[in-house]
Amino acid sequence: MTASARPRRLRLPVIRGYYWLLIGLLYLPIAILFVFSINANTTLSFPLRGFTLAWYAKLFATPALLHAVTNSVMVALGSSVAATALGSMIAILLSRFNFRGRTALTGLAMLPLIIPFVVLAVALLILFRALDINLSLVTIAIAHVVVALPYTTLIVLARLIGFDKQLEEASMDLGASYPATLRLVVLPIAAPAIVSAWITAFTVSFDEFALALFLAGRDPTFPVYLYGQLRFANTLPVLIATAVLLMLGTLTLILVADRIRKR
Amino acid sequence: MHPRRSLSTLQSTMVLSVVVILAACGPGGATGPTAGAATQLPTQAAATEIPPDQVTGSLHVLDWTGYDAEWAWQDFKNTYKNVTVTFDFGDSDADQYGKMKGGSQADIFHPYTGWLQFYVDEGLVAEIDTTKLKNWDKVPDSFKAIGQINGKQYFVPWDWGFTSILYRTDKITTPVDSWGILFDAKYKGHLSMWDDGPAAVTVSSYVHSYDETNITADQLASIKAEWTAQAPLNKAYWVAETDLDQLMASGEVWAAYAWQGAYATLNGGGTPVAYANPKEGRNSWVGVYGIRKDSSNYDLALRFLDSKLGTLTGQNLVTNYFYGVANGDVMSGIADPAQAAAYTNTTTGATPELLKQTFSVDDPSILQKTNFTPNLTAQQRDDWTAMWTEVKASQ
Amino acid sequence: MTASVDQASRTKGAAPERRGGSDPRRGSFWFLLGPPAIVLGLFLIVPVLLMIAVSFRADLSGELLAPFTPTLKQFQQAFAGAGYWRVLGISALTAFGVAAIATVTAYPIAYFLAFRAGKRAALYLILLLVPFWTSYLLRVMAWKLMLGEQGVVNSVLIGTGLIDDPLDALLYNRSAVVVTLIYVWIPFAALPILAGLGRIDVRLHDAAADLYGSPLQQFLRVTLPLSLPGVVAAFFMVFIPTVGEYVTPLLVGGTGGTMYGNLIQDFFTRAANWPLGSALSIIMLTVTLGLVIVALRIVDPRRLLERG
Repeated sequence: MTASARPRRLRLPVIRGYYWLLIGLLYLPIAILFVFSINANTTLSFPLRGFTLAWYAKLFATPALLHAVTNSVMVALGSSVAATALGSMIAILLSRFNFRGRTALTGLAMLPLIIPFVVLAVALLILFRALDINLSLVTIAIAHVVVALPYTTLIVLARLIGFDKQLEEASMDLGASYPATLRLVVLPIAAPAIVSAWITAFTVSFDEFALALFLAGRDPTFPVYLYGQLRFANTLPVLIATAVLLMLGTLTLILVADRIRKR
Repeated sequence: MHPRRSLSTLQSTMVLSVVVILAACGPGGATGPTAGAATQLPTQAAATEIPPDQVTGSLHVLDWTGYDAEWAWQDFKNTYKNVTVTFDFGDSDADQYGKMKGGSQADIFHPYTGWLQFYVDEGLVAEIDTTKLKNWDKVPDSFKAIGQINGKQYFVPWDWGFTSILYRTDKITTPVDSWGILFDAKYKGHLSMWDDGPAAVTVSSYVHSYDETNITADQLASIKAEWTAQAPLNKAYWVAETDLDQLMASGEVWAAYAWQGAYATLNGGGTPVAYANPKEGRNSWVGVYGIRKDSSNYDLALRFLDSKLGTLTGQNLVTNYFYGVANGDVMSGIADPAQAAAYTNTTTGATPELLKQTFSVDDPSILQKTNFTPNLTAQQRDDWTAMWTEVKASQ
Repeated sequence: MTASVDQASRTKGAAPERRGGSDPRRGSFWFLLGPPAIVLGLFLIVPVLLMIAVSFRADLSGELLAPFTPTLKQFQQAFAGAGYWRVLGISALTAFGVAAIATVTAYPIAYFLAFRAGKRAALYLILLLVPFWTSYLLRVMAWKLMLGEQGVVNSVLIGTGLIDDPLDALLYNRSAVVVTLIYVWIPFAALPILAGLGRIDVRLHDAAADLYGSPLQQFLRVTLPLSLPGVVAAFFMVFIPTVGEYVTPLLVGGTGGTMYGNLIQDFFTRAANWPLGSALSIIMLTVTLGLVIVALRIVDPRRLLERG
């Protein structure tokens, strides 16, 4: 039976409109930030004082700032890949295997969500001290893997639950080893969720600062740098300009990638 | 950046009196006792006198964010071109203390008055060999005293400033003359206090003439009740100076506990504000640098601290953040018309005139009444911060 | 012979029994379990144990890792402070509200992305998430500019003549915290819901459309129940960390919007009182864990996890 030509399409404009409405609301604060990034005043208050691009110019003339942004990207890339891999592993375990430690593993994977970041930060600080590990971008990345793990696990798990195991069992019946089954059957099924999880983990890491603040060595990530600079009025507009630029840059990249994909 | 407290009121009153008298008298005022140290210098000088730009090595500094900017250590950068300096950040006294306790390998750190005793007690800081500091004689004696614990010099003073009431003259037309305004219900919704327990205790002790070194349990309880009642009067607490800048610039806050940096920024930005001289006296704070005990870079660290007291660095601090510096010559230079260019900064709006107003150069009586809070004991720190947290929890 | 073995083993979630009776996936099992277990063990369990240890310290004096005499002093102080419990309760309620509203608000977005966005779904998803590559701190500060007395909302309301004086109750209170937190969480909440919706078989979806009289029925009877695991995941993903949230209350909460996370944060970063901060954290952990366990009893995840 084909899908009937019911007027399901009546819902189309409503849901789509809702999406765009929410996007508008989400971007409204960004728009405000953008306005202040071209405002010739150092305090973030109305009334506006005049148009200037000086802050953007200053942005590129501040090596410490650019350095911090690069650090953030590196930490986010590293930690998100690790967190996604580990989270996917846990998700497969929880949805496909029966073993005694199931509840324990679930609880453990969700635990980082409940621990206040500042507590985890201090605890990790003490740990690294005890192990005589110097603080650096790596220590921040490790912390980020831990805190992103619940998200990646949940997202991949939500996808894998209820996806009939018949496909995997059929694959193994046909003689494939389990690793091959994982690779050829499970991963493709989970792929959208894995990508989703990776994006989430990247986002969590890129903007995280409570842990980064405590665990940073010589190289700060962007949020750490930003938080410190927030204490000084005259640096604020440059920071806003950076944030706006980062976002615009990412948006452009995505749109370009999308264009390319369509070719 | 955060104002802290130092030793006795009397000692510290002398600090600023000296500085301001120097500033009022013009340049070339300060001399210090260097004769005694000079006899030791030659033997050590011969051994350490490598030309600065041939000195190599690296330094690791735990500082507050912003002080990694080159202007904040300009003299060192200009003199020791082949030394790499890297920075770690700790953005509150508790944060710095926590990191040092947590085993930070930084060679140098930057605490503020009030938080100095713990480092000595915990054996985290090395003694300063002041004979090697070429700029030491430019530091007024009372500032030197601030860095002394148990009779030994453990810290080198650097940045300092006032705390007082900052208020908008267009919203509050009668001049503010007391810390008590922070408790005045008439201004409900238009006040702002700094989010800090020890600061709250300090304000209360000024208003009620308590002895800050000896706050009893009863006094602490009444302080807590007082601030619990005060909490709804605030528009919001402020944590960083920029919070306060925005609150006052937008007109939401009319009177606040504030450091002089906010006064200068707002004044320079055109907001009509005044910095009060309360009858109980202003408060003042000093930031100091210490060298970690067992640091393998002691000599290099000492040179760094010496350069911090340098002229260019000091002038940068004054014009960029509107903080004072512990170099008497730099402070007195504010009043010298011949040096006007060094005290002008178009980005921050600093001018000699604004700086004179900010540091109350023209009014010595202000300094005579300025108070410092003593160094906290660990017990006081825990009690007063817990008190404040309970105030916030009861809202 | 294989047929009967296979039939017997075709229970959901059970390890397929092959000749010999051992799970052929054993090797993979340890491969899958190993790395996560090591990472979680070393970088989560050990630090938590350290934190628990610190909470039994009397103070921070002396070498951090040296032996000390344990004391219950910190817990006594934590339990005695009436305000602490009150704030914990309020924080939990706030978190519940934020999670509920964020999940409900995010659901239509996830639905849109799953069923209506077609080929451009990935693009629309990224569009949703990109603001989160702008600094969280700055976005919250931007909310201050929206809600402030001279902010956007007030300017619009006054400009259109709806009110004469600016509303000063939009910012620096608990409501501002709630609104801002919801704003922050909506895109994140959409993700698990989306993942859950994604596994709904399109044929089921179409069959439902034929069976039920209206799209609403189709949704309520088929789509919604099948998407529940994702919804539940989203709710918890928002609820649990929000209990310990501190940045937003700090920036927009004023004096009345303090949450439990602020108290803990204060003890670590403003008071250097790690023992008391750790004790308060353990209390929060225990309470949150308790709430989650209770909630899971009610919602019965076993039913959800085995559905499909």
